Amino acid sequence: MYIVKNAFKSITRNKLRNILIGVIVLIISVSACVSLSIQQAAEVAKEDTLSNLSVTAQISFDRKKAMEDMQQKSTSDDSDSGSDKSFDRGKFDFDVLQGSSLTLDDYMKYTKALKNGDSYYYSGAVSLNATGDLLPYGTSEEDESDSSSSSKSSDNKSSGNSSDKNSQTPPNMPSGDSSNSNNSGGGPMGGMPFQVNQGDFTITGYSSYDAMLSMFGEDGSYKISDGEMFDETSEAYECVISNELATYNNLKVGDTIKLANPQYEKETYKLKIVGIYTNSDSSSEEDNRFKMNDPANNIYMNYNAFSKIIAASEKADNKTTDSDGNKTSAALSENLAFTYKFASVENYEKFADKVYDLGLSDDYKVSSSDLQSYENSLTPLETLSGTAMWFFFIVLAVGGIILITLNIFNLRERKYEVGVLTAIGMKKAKVAMQFVTEIFIVTFIALIIGTSVGAAVSVPVTNTLLQNQISSSQQSDSKVSKNFGFENSDNNGRPQGGPGMSGGEMNPFGKSTKAADYVDSVSSATNFMVILELVLVGLFLTIVASLAALISIMRYEPLKILSNRS
Amino acid sequence: MSTLKLDNISYHYEKNSAEVLDNLSMDFESGKIYTIVGKSGAGKTTLLSVLSSLARPTDGKIFLNEEDVAKIDRYKFRSKYVGVIFQNFNLLTHLTALENVVLSMDISGKKFDRPKKEIAAELLEKVGLSPDEAKRRVLKLSGGQQQRVAIARALSYDPDIILADEPTGNLDGETQDEIINIFRMLADEGKCVIIVTHSPDVAKASDVQYELKKGKRV
Repeated sequence: MYIVKNAFKSITRNKLRNILIGVIVLIISVSACVSLSIQQAAEVAKEDTLSNLSVTAQISFDRKKAMEDMQQKSTSDDSDSGSDKSFDRGKFDFDVLQGSSLTLDDYMKYTKALKNGDSYYYSGAVSLNATGDLLPYGTSEEDESDSSSSSKSSDNKSSGNSSDKNSQTPPNMPSGDSSNSNNSGGGPMGGMPFQVNQGDFTITGYSSYDAMLSMFGEDGSYKISDGEMFDETSEAYECVISNELATYNNLKVGDTIKLANPQYEKETYKLKIVGIYTNSDSSSEEDNRFKMNDPANNIYMNYNAFSKIIAASEKADNKTTDSDGNKTSAALSENLAFTYKFASVENYEKFADKVYDLGLSDDYKVSSSDLQSYENSLTPLETLSGTAMWFFFIVLAVGGIILITLNIFNLRERKYEVGVLTAIGMKKAKVAMQFVTEIFIVTFIALIIGTSVGAAVSVPVTNTLLQNQISSSQQSDSKVSKNFGFENSDNNGRPQGGPGMSGGEMNPFGKSTKAADYVDSVSSATNFMVILELVLVGLFLTIVASLAALISIMRYEPLKILSNRS
Repeated sequence: MSTLKLDNISYHYEKNSAEVLDNLSMDFESGKIYTIVGKSGAGKTTLLSVLSSLARPTDGKIFLNEEDVAKIDRYKFRSKYVGVIFQNFNLLTHLTALENVVLSMDISGKKFDRPKKEIAAELLEKVGLSPDEAKRRVLKLSGGQQQRVAIARALSYDPDIILADEPTGNLDGETQDEIINIFRMLADEGKCVIIVTHSPDVAKASDVQYELKKGKRV
């Protein structure tokens, strides 16, 4: 007990020296607290985001791989004839590049790879023309005449308002991170065979409430303003239309609209309007050059009824005749968007492996834009966390070295004290214990103050550093965008739909240019875990600082010290 | 009754160096004052170091009440059985006189029937320090006063043997007599007092004199 008493006395006697040690430990502990808090915040943010994340995935054709395969094949063929290795456009096989579309049956087959808690939904989209008095929203008197003639134009999107929603993109036109293709521009795609027959309206059929939610529910901009939502299970030709379209055509709930197959005008379908929706951010950012792309011209129904339309069209088996006299089928073909929804990332990863066992070709890949954006959203925080970790170790190492040095000098000064204490019979171990106790007390007082200060400043410091990190990421993003000519990009670095681009969904880097929704603040950083780690830091510093003391004391011989002195 | 017995002890500092103590045999009994005299370098202080277990004899044995001292923990031996008054006092100068005394009582681990501070204050008064001086830092005390603190410290845990190295070296004649009186008083109380000294006065006042010459008893 007297050891502790002596330690306290000794500390108060050597105020200056102990204040110096205390200040060093204080600096170390504030830095350590902030660094550990940043790491902890990153960890917590990661878990929180992950637990709130609903992981959805799509199976899409891997066009990049197909291109590479084709290129390889082309060059190996050419090597026989000795010609140069440039890619022969004549051998550009668009059928291969398109990949065969997966059918609903295919997609359903892979649902076997889902686990408990996982689900799936899908939607089909097709484009239909207006008939009779019905006019698509946005038609002016002069272009009324060619309202249905835009079918040869090309666009990457067929379901109009899909630019922010990958789930709406047809499977044969991979979105998001799917492709490095240099074909994403409009020009080269002019002759591609898988283009959609352009109509006035986009009719989308949803398989379930989930599917609709992905469309309507997430940002809350859609709202049924009149009538009701279509019955999820009904096979009746019922639909909801936009408020704009209803007003423009003077339609109300209960009315029927008549739509035609754009390839074969005589093939018509009557849909009953059961509800009218408003979309608070309609027509704002969308590419409205084609009427079917105007969200006001989106007509929604359930998939059961929708598939009946497709089936009826196939059954009608109408043919069109082109200028060469060849007959081709005019049957409507749907663009199917199938989404698997997972209860956890783990489930998603297992699914991504298992689908290949269930017979999915290697030409297709499973991707999750949610997961991608989740990972992107954490990038600044994780970068910061990594930096913080290095900072932590450097501070600890430098601090440790300073403390060791200070204690070596300290001990040299107190050598005589050690000699006297041992000469009058105090055991070396006890002397050492007293010295360690002194260091321990000073360290922990400084550590407690340091932790309090660190905890108080860690949240604002973390957030400030995080903002810097985010703005530097954004600066580099926007620099990249600028370098590649997207100078008109908006604040988020998203290119506007220019002539060669298809509305900002893809850029040449094969990565969504939509700015990542970064985790940009943390609410609490210092938690129990951090405090525990700091206690360990304190112990570590005490041990490191005491080590010199312990070793020296154990080596001292009182007689030698005292006789040297005298 | 033999309290402390040296049996043919030798001591050298380094291997193959000359013996500083050479085959010494001595007996020390309780209730007597012993003085060890001799010229500088005769091995007096070394003998005291060996007696206080600060150094172990390289040869021979020391017995305390017939128990081999080598078998007793050196720290325990120093803190309980012997009280050492060093030539240069070896006090902790940043502590007060009182704190120095209390500290050695703490270290001894002995139980005391009264508060240590009280005993220490009494002891300091007994060796001639005023209560005011007792509360002063050792650094601010004179040589004679420090000598008294060192004596008080050596007595504080009531050891059977008192070892003193030139305890009167820094003192004037009057003070020297006072100190000798204290030692006499201790011997009368039944302690064994062993004093290393140059002073003929101190030697004269002792019961037994041992003279050393080049590590040997004369």
